[in-house]
Amino acid sequence: MWENRCKVAVSGVGFSKVSRSADMPLAAHALEAVKGAVADSGLDMSDIDGLATYPELPATGHAEVDGISIVSVNCMMAMLKLPSLTWHIQVGTTNIGGAVQQAVNALLAGVCKYAVVWRAMHNPRGTYQNLPGTYAQGDTQFTAPYGFGGPGQGMAVAYTRWLERHNQNREKMATLAATQRRHTQHNPHAYFYGVPLTREDYLTSRMVAYPFCLFDCDIPVQGAVAIVLTTADRARDLKPTPAYLAGYGQRLHFEVAGRIGSLSSYMEGGRSSAKLTWERSGFSPKDVDVAQIYDGFSASVIYGLESYGFCEEGEALDFIQDGRIELDGELPLNTFGGSLGTGRIHGLWHIIEGALQASGRAGSRQVKDVNVSFVGASAPIVTGTTFIFVSEPY
Amino acid sequence: MTMSDWSKVTRPIPIPNEWTKPFWDAARRGALELQRCQKCGNFQHPPYATCVNCVSTDLKFEPVHGAGAIYAYTIMYHTGDKRFAGAVPYASVIVELDDAPGALMAGNLLDAPYTEAKVGRRVEVVFEKLNDDVTLPQFRLTRE
Repeated sequence: MWENRCKVAVSGVGFSKVSRSADMPLAAHALEAVKGAVADSGLDMSDIDGLATYPELPATGHAEVDGISIVSVNCMMAMLKLPSLTWHIQVGTTNIGGAVQQAVNALLAGVCKYAVVWRAMHNPRGTYQNLPGTYAQGDTQFTAPYGFGGPGQGMAVAYTRWLERHNQNREKMATLAATQRRHTQHNPHAYFYGVPLTREDYLTSRMVAYPFCLFDCDIPVQGAVAIVLTTADRARDLKPTPAYLAGYGQRLHFEVAGRIGSLSSYMEGGRSSAKLTWERSGFSPKDVDVAQIYDGFSASVIYGLESYGFCEEGEALDFIQDGRIELDGELPLNTFGGSLGTGRIHGLWHIIEGALQASGRAGSRQVKDVNVSFVGASAPIVTGTTFIFVSEPY
Repeated sequence: MTMSDWSKVTRPIPIPNEWTKPFWDAARRGALELQRCQKCGNFQHPPYATCVNCVSTDLKFEPVHGAGAIYAYTIMYHTGDKRFAGAVPYASVIVELDDAPGALMAGNLLDAPYTEAKVGRRVEVVFEKLNDDVTLPQFRLTRE
């Protein structure tokens, strides 16, 4: 087991307004979320001495303008002018989960005391994937000429492979979509709060990139979320009940850039990240009381459940049936609604929910008697990270 | 009617680089050549600086037979990519060649209804000329 387990905790969390597309600069969303997280911790902004994010803009073909379409560490520094700042970082090889892990490492190293991590996501007005180009350069020269324009298709090809190799039926995914949307109704910050979705809605919705229909895809939104991380000792003196970090991992597998459609990449990525997390925490899948698994496209949940070890390969769509992922089920899943419910904010919201469930702060969606709270914070293939939070340090 | 109409599609033109030029040069001649490790014999695609199997840098392009099977596919209905909007729904496929296991190539399923795309179905390469400089390897169902 990891000698540093339960030495760092998530304290406060914060949310901005989530809107369908940009009606104010993204920096305003990020500020709202960061201020919310600091206030939730009972801290003052002047206490914050660490900053970390992953600022990438997933919408293809749009200009990256700091403060408008991304919110970098530099942007946040310029806005906040933190008097106590001692450390900051922006990560690349992993998504926002990597920024959280770097903040954990900085806290363990003693180079900061209270770190804020935020994820701000821009949805430009007009077309999300702006693909007007006449030419296909670099990695895209082998994919773009065939109409592989966006990430949805890259994920969809692995999904057909999974479905047909395992003789599975995409209609079973209706259970995930409908269950998560019910969970969403307990999360007032979510984009789809107040908007129900039935199995029939899912089964009759329009196809986007087969096997993905509209409700297999998280809706692009503009918004931000943030967390405060600190050492366990300091967290105990703050207002919220701490969620202790028992272990984490990151994907250790990468295939050649530009390669597309490899189901094995998802599985290898997920397995490598989960292995580190189980070993460091000393837990196994059967110990988990509640799980958040990244669902930007629904099939990521399949790859997560299988590669993290919650079920066998080919079984995930059966595993989620019969009430197992309900709030009172055997493995309550994406209890905040997931990205399918909140809108596309990437994995920091999964991490937030994992922490809230571990600290008993999830309100009307709180799962009973949670100790071990698991998070898979990104699609395992490229940017996968995994976490376990616990309510009881050990 | 389940045939995709490719006539109004403006495919983005691939721009070869130092690593990929031999692939596109071969395609222009109507041949399929993939990067092969001269040390361990592994074929790979897309081209890369090193062998993805043994990390050798001794790589050359060698001809392969254009016969293989659909490894995975998607059928595109969304018109977000305006260049391809005229063809929806259309099948984009990932093909694993018999000669190059693990080297996955993208393509479209041509000359067949898009509903014919299925994992494991046999396909063969065909060549689609985009202009005088660039020809795209594509796939159709194998004709016995």
